[in-house]
Amino acid sequence: VIGRALLALALALISEPAQAHPPPLGIPGFFGGLLHPFFVPAHALAVTGLGLLIGMQIPHWGRTAAFGFVAALAAGLGMMTLGVVPRWMGEVLLVSAAITGVLAVLARMLPEVLGATIAIPIGIAVALDSPPEVISLREANLMLVGTGLGATLFLMAVMEVVARLKRPGPRLGARILGSWICAGAMLALALQLAR
Amino acid sequence: MTVRGIRVFAALIGLAAATPALAHTGSVVGGFFGGFAHPLLGPDHVIAMVAVGLWGAFLGAPAIYTLPVVFPLVMAAGGVLGILGVPLPGVEIGIATSAVILGMMVALAAQPPLWVAAVLVGAFAIFHGHAHGAELPADADAVAYSVGFVIATGCLHLAGIGFGLLAQWPAGRMAVRAAGGAIAIGGLMFLGRLA
Repeated sequence: VIGRALLALALALISEPAQAHPPPLGIPGFFGGLLHPFFVPAHALAVTGLGLLIGMQIPHWGRTAAFGFVAALAAGLGMMTLGVVPRWMGEVLLVSAAITGVLAVLARMLPEVLGATIAIPIGIAVALDSPPEVISLREANLMLVGTGLGATLFLMAVMEVVARLKRPGPRLGARILGSWICAGAMLALALQLAR
Repeated sequence: MTVRGIRVFAALIGLAAATPALAHTGSVVGGFFGGFAHPLLGPDHVIAMVAVGLWGAFLGAPAIYTLPVVFPLVMAAGGVLGILGVPLPGVEIGIATSAVILGMMVALAAQPPLWVAAVLVGAFAIFHGHAHGAELPADADAVAYSVGFVIATGCLHLAGIGFGLLAQWPAGRMAVRAAGGAIAIGGLMFLGRLA
């Protein structure tokens, strides 16, 4: 009996919890989901890059790319509730972040359809890379709703701030930020693929 | 179960429960600060990064933003080579030489065409990126580490630009050129250590 108990104890000690991303600041539920896109670096990188890109193209672009992101995000969260198992979502986010960073650096007028084409995979990947770490269905749904709202607010905030940068200095700052996003995404992607 | 058996089991439990001591925990926060600290801990890197900013400011627009954009992008490409283990000869010599050449450019108030400055800075960025990429810890949070790393590099450029803006005034111009000279001498010292 003692032997079995010790064996059970040993197994319990070596087992580890399945973790996606730890809840931001340990906050569960809706607010944990709301903060999730801000605290997961790959999400923050991709959403910031997309916001930079769209913001720099406004008013040449409308809000189609942003709506594409929100629709894709909602679709991805819906897929999550259907039990879709995400794979390579982190890599999709990093590749997308690198592309948005380069396009922000170039600061050229681009067709709006390109923005939507990039926004859709980012929206789906942010959603599918945000599995709730809770057992309760209600709690999980609250987290997913929070993630959807948080990612949308995040994108809108970056996009609207960048769209309001009219003076050359801040516009150049946005381009330099784009280069940082691209460089960070490239390094992170290489590091992840090398493992 | 005998006393000996219980002791063996207890030892096994101890081994099973033990986790490896990790310098980098892989946490997001630790990853970010680890990456942020990395470029700041190599004095040869630091003076070369500051020299990029100084030279950019000295040359004025558009070099003031072109060089700090070119550097992280090319550095990331070099970093990818380093992470993937692609060998690059003379990395340390290249880094020390970058401080010498870039420092001299500032000290001599060299004003080559923008593309020459960009190619020169980009060429040296490969060495810096490769060295950093080869040293990236395998167990850090890849994205957080890379973002911290790129932001620190960018901040060093901004520090150089900030100081370089003093060149608008005659006394400041002398101070900036003197700083370039000091960086070149520092680079020579690093080269001397490698010889």
